[in-house]
Amino acid sequence: MNGYKQIPVYLRYLINTLLLGAFLLGGNALLASGAVNRAQSAVILQIGIYILLAVSLNVATGYLGQLPLGHAGFMAVGGYGAALLWKAMPRSAGAIVLGLLLGGLVAAVFGVVIGVPALRLKGDYLAIITLGFGEIIRVLIINLPGITGGTPGLMNIPKHSSFLVVYTTVILSCALIHTLMKSRHGRAILAIRENEIAAESSGVNTTFYKVLAFTVSAFFAGVAGALYAGYTGILTPGNFTFMTSVNILVMVVLGGLGSMAGSVIAATILTALPLALQSFNKYRMVIYALLLIAVMIFKPSGLLGRYDFSLTRILEKLINGQLFARAKKAGEDRA
Amino acid sequence: MLFLSQCINGLQLGSIYALVALGYSMVYGIIRLLNFAHGDVIMIGAYIALLTIGAGLHPALAVGITILGCVLISVLIEKVAYRPLRSAPRISLLITAIGVSLLLQNLVQLFFTADSRAYPSTAIIPARAIQLGGLSLSLSTVVTILVSVGAMLGLHLLIQKTRMGKAMRAVSEDTGAAQLMGIDINRVISITFAIGSALAGVGSVLYCCRYSVANPTMGSLLGLKAFVAAVLGGIGSIPGAVVGGFAIGFAEVLVTALGFSAWTDAVVFAVLIVVLLVKPTGLLGRGVAEKV
Amino acid sequence: MVPLDGLGIIPERDAGRPPILDIRHLCVDFGGLRAVDDFTLLIGRTEIAGLIGPNGAGKTTVFNLLTNVYKPTQGRILLNGQDTRGKSMHQLNRLGIARTFQNIRLFAGMSVEDNVKVAMNHGYTDGVLTDMFRLPGWWRTERRQHVRALELLDLFNLAGKANALAGNLPYGDQRRLEIVRALASEPKLLLLDEPAAGMNPSETHELMDNIRMLRDEFGIAIMLIEHDMNLVMGICEGIAVLNYGKIIAKGTPREIQTNPVVIEAYLGEEAGHDA
Repeated sequence: MNGYKQIPVYLRYLINTLLLGAFLLGGNALLASGAVNRAQSAVILQIGIYILLAVSLNVATGYLGQLPLGHAGFMAVGGYGAALLWKAMPRSAGAIVLGLLLGGLVAAVFGVVIGVPALRLKGDYLAIITLGFGEIIRVLIINLPGITGGTPGLMNIPKHSSFLVVYTTVILSCALIHTLMKSRHGRAILAIRENEIAAESSGVNTTFYKVLAFTVSAFFAGVAGALYAGYTGILTPGNFTFMTSVNILVMVVLGGLGSMAGSVIAATILTALPLALQSFNKYRMVIYALLLIAVMIFKPSGLLGRYDFSLTRILEKLINGQLFARAKKAGEDRA
Repeated sequence: MLFLSQCINGLQLGSIYALVALGYSMVYGIIRLLNFAHGDVIMIGAYIALLTIGAGLHPALAVGITILGCVLISVLIEKVAYRPLRSAPRISLLITAIGVSLLLQNLVQLFFTADSRAYPSTAIIPARAIQLGGLSLSLSTVVTILVSVGAMLGLHLLIQKTRMGKAMRAVSEDTGAAQLMGIDINRVISITFAIGSALAGVGSVLYCCRYSVANPTMGSLLGLKAFVAAVLGGIGSIPGAVVGGFAIGFAEVLVTALGFSAWTDAVVFAVLIVVLLVKPTGLLGRGVAEKV
Repeated sequence: MVPLDGLGIIPERDAGRPPILDIRHLCVDFGGLRAVDDFTLLIGRTEIAGLIGPNGAGKTTVFNLLTNVYKPTQGRILLNGQDTRGKSMHQLNRLGIARTFQNIRLFAGMSVEDNVKVAMNHGYTDGVLTDMFRLPGWWRTERRQHVRALELLDLFNLAGKANALAGNLPYGDQRRLEIVRALASEPKLLLLDEPAAGMNPSETHELMDNIRMLRDEFGIAIMLIEHDMNLVMGICEGIAVLNYGKIIAKGTPREIQTNPVVIEAYLGEEAGHDA
């Protein structure tokens, strides 16, 4: 390690911020200029929303090692929460931020309420309880038409989810999840995945950290739900079925359990593909199903394993002239 | 009289749930897997019956083929999808099971479309009423209850009295030790899947005779409820699965009778959550400590 | 070694203080089988104690009872004067008990340094939001944990491998890392379950020095299960011998080595197992 040049922290933050800022403004300008048609810009927004859904599920599945099957339920409560607020408020930047936060918080409250009983138990109960939760939420939405619009749906939701809103939210959310995982709290969560008994006997309050990870996962699913509401302008219970949850799970599994970069890439591909190839749609679910099974049997680590992308690391290697020489080894060590 | 007929209604539904729940519980007991594909095996059974009876086969033969089909497909699933993952983390196995469930549903959808099809219930059990005291029962209700109870008794005898039953109990208790004692684990697991899915095959016929329709996603909700029944009774416990099945059946009939039929699914899951809060191992289950 | 309360012996230097561990009449039944029977033992504040016995005697079960992996059927355990009953495993860790495992349980997919940091997750006040937004509290915690983790790793010559994945370490290093991790939670009593298993004689020798060093530097008590009699007789001050769940002898290494009951138990085992 001696003599290995490192980029100072402030410079790292500056580079990352500038690049992401350029991405946001550039993308926004591209969409505004009309170079991208309506259908394409819709795909771009959907990709952003699914990235956040996959990255948030990855917190519970990849980092914590649990299998919630009701991610669409959290998305739903977040979406309806934000939609109701937005319908009641005039359009303003404050309203948009408030709606996104409300969506996340409503989902987080549900996350705590479900997580506390489910995560106290050892075993696969979280999978069952969250699956049940997803169904109950749908039944509630259908049977409370006064609030939710029932089966026909909640209409005329202000379409707040512009490119800038969606991708700023997605980038911020990913950054916050990343920083959480690189802290003592994040390490405790990973330790539970690695070996629960060892974590517990090393002083980690496993119940607390399980509920924390699960709640963070639910929070960002709720935010994604809010973005979804502001993108479609209409929410129906049919948007939030078990299949939606499975869709998100496929992205996380395919990208690699525990890899944020993997979730992002898989969400992008799997969202763009069916929209790009209409004929693919007929076979989509069959292919997803086969992918799930094949990945688990032949490459349980998914596309990227637990690799996480770091621009700084690549830059540092470039400075030190080792980009190609040691890329493979470093990737293995730090993954 | 209304109350009594509702009770019998609950008994009929409950015995179907119990049959299906047994499959979940047996598989969980032996390889600690929530076999999400179990409900879809029932759906496959429904389509086999549809095709065989449609082809003009004798109903008894069609039922036989249905059960055999369910057994074959389950054993195949276990061999191809679950066996390679036996030592993998539990979450991998769980995800695979979800994958298998999706695959079955969508393959059937691809070949038969997503539309519901009329199931030839009356070809299998004639629509006839039976007078019992002042009570008028349909033949299918009586057959369902009798067949289910018979199947459960048979299973009980098999597990308690035969060598294979003893081997199954041993594997479920401690797989490693059972292997050291010379038990062929793979064979026991295959047979467990076979028995569980034979019961599912029977359940499939009885369920379809009650509702007279089949569609590619019918297995999910039935499976889910049976699965809740298994957890409610204590997953891994055979008597628990039966108790749980009847409890869910009665609960559903009760909620419907009270006029809240739109809420039945929510109630079923709410019951599950409450039970897990109060007694996490289910009504008759027991906790399993991890070895340190 | 001096007697205490007629229940056991502790080192003379610890005699003025209450024992770190005070176990009275501990029993546990597994399905009608008594796995540990009437286990009574005292361990001094800075004692290195050994728990030995033939395979299957119940040694690891005792550790599991001490860390509340299992609930005792009868009896009680006082750790540092506090009853451990009903405490969760992480609460017990906070009371001052840390352990290693017979079958290594590292966080295999995490770096060596992170393995150690996980066990330091106490005494810090930076909350989840502080860390998410990288406020000053996060920087302070990271710096302190990093420095401390490397100090501890250095004790066992692991600092150079801080960035390696724990699961990729050689076996001996994995055992050492488990000890460092246990140490990182600042225990008053360290339980080591077969720390020398799989180590060669020179590694074992180094381990013995390290265990003494831990006792002297950190002033903690250490209780270990070990089959390597050179290690046990070389560093333990008090030894308890377990057979069929019962203590058949307690005493100093010299007393144990000459105890006919112990010799009988071990010879019986060796004859039976060809070990």
